[in-house]
Amino acid sequence: MATVVVARPAARPTPRARDEEVLVWPDLVFVEFISAMLFTVLLFLLSYLMNAPLLDEANANVTNDPAKAPWYLLNLQELLLHMNAALAGIVVPTVWLIILIVFPYFDRSTDGQGRWFADVNSVKNTVVSLNVGLWGTLALIIWNSGKAALWAKDWFGFSGGSTLAFLERSAALKDPSVVPWPGWADSIPYLWFNLKILDEGPGAGVTTFQKIDLPTLLVDIGIPTGFMVGFSCLLIFFFWKINWVHTRRDALITLMSGFVGVFLMLTVIGTAFRGPGQDLIWPWDLRTLEGIPGQE
Amino acid sequence: MAVEQPTQPTLGDLIYDKLFHNYVWRSIFRTGYPNTPRNQMLVVATNVFLHLHPTRIHRTHVKITHTYCLGGLTFFMFLGLTVTGILLMFYYVPSVDRAYLDIQNIQTNVQFGQLMRNMHRWMAHAMVILVFLHMLRVFYTGAYKPPREFNWVVGVVLLVLTFLLSFTGYLLPWDQLAFWAITVGTNIAGSAPVLGPKTRFWLLGGFEVGPDALIRFYTLHVIGLPLLAAIFMAVHFWRIRRDGGLARPL
Repeated sequence: MATVVVARPAARPTPRARDEEVLVWPDLVFVEFISAMLFTVLLFLLSYLMNAPLLDEANANVTNDPAKAPWYLLNLQELLLHMNAALAGIVVPTVWLIILIVFPYFDRSTDGQGRWFADVNSVKNTVVSLNVGLWGTLALIIWNSGKAALWAKDWFGFSGGSTLAFLERSAALKDPSVVPWPGWADSIPYLWFNLKILDEGPGAGVTTFQKIDLPTLLVDIGIPTGFMVGFSCLLIFFFWKINWVHTRRDALITLMSGFVGVFLMLTVIGTAFRGPGQDLIWPWDLRTLEGIPGQE
Repeated sequence: MAVEQPTQPTLGDLIYDKLFHNYVWRSIFRTGYPNTPRNQMLVVATNVFLHLHPTRIHRTHVKITHTYCLGGLTFFMFLGLTVTGILLMFYYVPSVDRAYLDIQNIQTNVQFGQLMRNMHRWMAHAMVILVFLHMLRVFYTGAYKPPREFNWVVGVVLLVLTFLLSFTGYLLPWDQLAFWAITVGTNIAGSAPVLGPKTRFWLLGGFEVGPDALIRFYTLHVIGLPLLAAIFMAVHFWRIRRDGGLARPL
């Protein structure tokens, strides 16, 4: 007897459990209305108590110091202090946005959706990754600001001199007195002609592609990229070793939570701890912070 | 056996009847007051503003701790920003000569002007924070998983649009804070290899923040980006329904 094989979808939608459902009016509409009203009242209150800042009229000849981007971009501005400008300002955010977009195409399992922290270990994973992101970033910022070396000197009388100058900031590694770079290292030709692209206005100059400045490339791009990619992979690998990461979802939780930690720390440092000349200072020494009453 | 007798309608009933059961009222609202399950479903299904919702929803999804209303509140901020933004537009002219004076004028001479400006400012900050938190909620509840992959992508686009909306608005007061923030911000964009300077020039309409940048940011802020955001929001909300509502355990 011939058997007719009927193709069936692998996953069928589960039947709707009517008795588990509530009516949108009033149950959901009520919740939405209350939250909207709550926010309206809170924002009115905030607006009553605190004025939007308004400094002096814009003047291109008087530089604000510190000149700061809007607070949600201060994480990028903070990154700019530690690495190549294009890497910090363009490559990192673009790559991160692409990673975000790829999330659901990387983790295609339908397990554990619709519930907070549904996976085993996801809470531990989140909390630890978040903290690694937060305090790891803080440690790196303090190191690269030279504060660590300063404290070592102030508190322990420890001074490494020029040989240990990289403890002060990573940029010191470019200095031939710290690392004995051979003379040819800062101009290694890789094109046999000088390629010029886009001569763009005052100050921008010509972008040339002929020689590689190895120390600069290594210190401004290599080390930061190594830290960002390396630390992320290391953390996921470590969690995999201790059985916290089993699935792609777990790896994403580590990545996302670590990112949130880094993002928060960079934003907080950039907003509240960077003073004139982008030096690290305490928030109470900061003069032009948006939203402080009396500043407007 | 006593049979319940119809009672005389009270004055309140008569007034209610006249107000809500007349020809004009019923031409506006097809359903009666939503006090029966039938009317409650009809009002959601037939009202243009409510019909984004399904008529019924799983009981776990109305619990405040499931979504914290973050997505809805982000949209609410967008609406609030539209209202306060329109009010501010009545008084604001995006020219270098007038912009700063107009802001001062709004704060000192316009009834509730300071309040409107404050609301607009704090709502904008709230929207950025809320949209970020909403993304975290969706991530940690695994709500980006199939079949909602594409809606997550639309959400990432909306996140970027929210940042851009806020960023373009930042220049408009034309004070030192605005000027230098946008200078720094566009310098970041200008640092891109090869295309950076071009992008910066295109954003500012010149080599530095000036009148051309102001009109560009203004136009993007009040019409270009809100339109784009509205389109993506429409897709975002539509896809929530098409993908089966909020994610829940299979």
